[in-house]
Amino acid sequence: MNALDGHLHLRAVRASDGSTALSTQSFRAPFHLSKPNWDPDAEVLHAQVVNPTAGILEGDLLESSISVDVGAALLVTTPSASRLFRMTEGGHATGRQHFTVACDATLEVFPEPIVPHRGSTYFQETTIDAAEGSTLLFIDQLMPGRLAHGEAWTWDRLVLGLTVRREGELILRERFDQTGASLRSLAEFSGTGVGSCFANIVFLPPTMEIDPSWRAEIAALHRDGVWLGVSRLRQIGWSIRIVSPDPIRLRDTLASLRSTLRLSYPRLGCGLRRP
Amino acid sequence: MNSAPATSTDTGWLLGLLQASDALYPTGSYAHSFGLEGMIDAGAVRDRTTLRAFLLNSVLPSLRNVDLPLAAHAWKAFGACDWSAVAEVCVLASALRAPRELRSAAEAIGRQRAELLANVHEYELAREFLRRAGEGSWPHCTAVSAALEARVHGAPLAAVLAAVCYASVAGVIAAATKLLRLGQNAAQSLLTEMVSLCPAMVGPACELPLDEIGWFNPWLDAASARHETANARLFIS
Repeated sequence: MNALDGHLHLRAVRASDGSTALSTQSFRAPFHLSKPNWDPDAEVLHAQVVNPTAGILEGDLLESSISVDVGAALLVTTPSASRLFRMTEGGHATGRQHFTVACDATLEVFPEPIVPHRGSTYFQETTIDAAEGSTLLFIDQLMPGRLAHGEAWTWDRLVLGLTVRREGELILRERFDQTGASLRSLAEFSGTGVGSCFANIVFLPPTMEIDPSWRAEIAALHRDGVWLGVSRLRQIGWSIRIVSPDPIRLRDTLASLRSTLRLSYPRLGCGLRRP
Repeated sequence: MNSAPATSTDTGWLLGLLQASDALYPTGSYAHSFGLEGMIDAGAVRDRTTLRAFLLNSVLPSLRNVDLPLAAHAWKAFGACDWSAVAEVCVLASALRAPRELRSAAEAIGRQRAELLANVHEYELAREFLRRAGEGSWPHCTAVSAALEARVHGAPLAAVLAAVCYASVAGVIAAATKLLRLGQNAAQSLLTEMVSLCPAMVGPACELPLDEIGWFNPWLDAASARHETANARLFIS
């Protein structure tokens, strides 16, 4: 088996004209970077990370580090879902990603969802280091499987670790370690059904408000079978959990969430579609 | 059945754990449902059957992957007087709970239990912990306070982890008796079933590395976050 040992290193800096540019970019398959696009309205550079292979296979190691320097603003997306293909017993793939956001910088990370296929195992560790005065919106999505093929919750194991520090202080540590069967049990018990899909969101604003105007509006997106909760993290920042009965309602909820946040934080308003 | 006469007089630690687990002990835990009320509001927990599913699919995994290993690490750190390790566990325990209500519940109860050890029992280790926690702004949590209780009472690690299991499961079931149509016998049968599953969780919890601690239920977290701003509620969490 030809496992890939890929890397992606990006550094976004504020250019002399006030825009954001990539001062460093280095990548190796399965990572590929499309030409970045500057959104003059949101004043954000949009970088789209492409996986030109079919998906993530057993033995693959994907390491990425993305940093945003003082005053810069970067949106990182992917054009398609990250598919985790079937692996042999005991086999797995690994992803490690590290994001660094400097003071007065903005980073939004909004990849398409992870879609674990039957018999896949994946370990992903995400670390975020944010400086005081930075803005971060991190959105991680998970599908139950290939719903169009009638396949859900048949993956072996997913371990999604997330560590968030601000000024070096640990404000959030998560470890989502679930088998497909255990998450299916939770979905059945909670009543969101076989197509339940998730978004785990961390939002770090530059300054903390106890009850910001956007909170009630986003909390109101808890409707039509979608579970959504907004809660304050320790020290600073917000955790937003979404469980949706299907991918369409999840996508719509996330679009509404971004539209709401954009009103208070214009740099989170970068268009996801490239011109 | 063991018919050997009980001859050991080394039961001080047992009495200490019993007192700390007793409803008379003023920890304030009676005011919390630990997310259950939010799950009931969301319609997921409705009766004994769904309560049992909540305990099996959410409460026990959280104990196995979060509270028990945290308590085990804290117990070892207190035993070694490794205060930097104690601080690390305190911060981690707080960071592992994203929903504010669940985090605040653990902090409030944890603080109260530590203060009771210092002020009622007058244990020097507890006073030292409170002094250092205050100076370092360490967050409190129930798992660390349970480990502290074990150390000052001289309880073995397995015993304190069993006590953590019992208190956690009993706390949720006690709240359920106020929120659901759940009789005393039904509550006790559930408690019996859940407690029977706890011994198997103790050993693995003692071995879990610090960086592998963690678990969450997305539905519970969403429900708990919504409970924070609910117009009517019986419990603080």
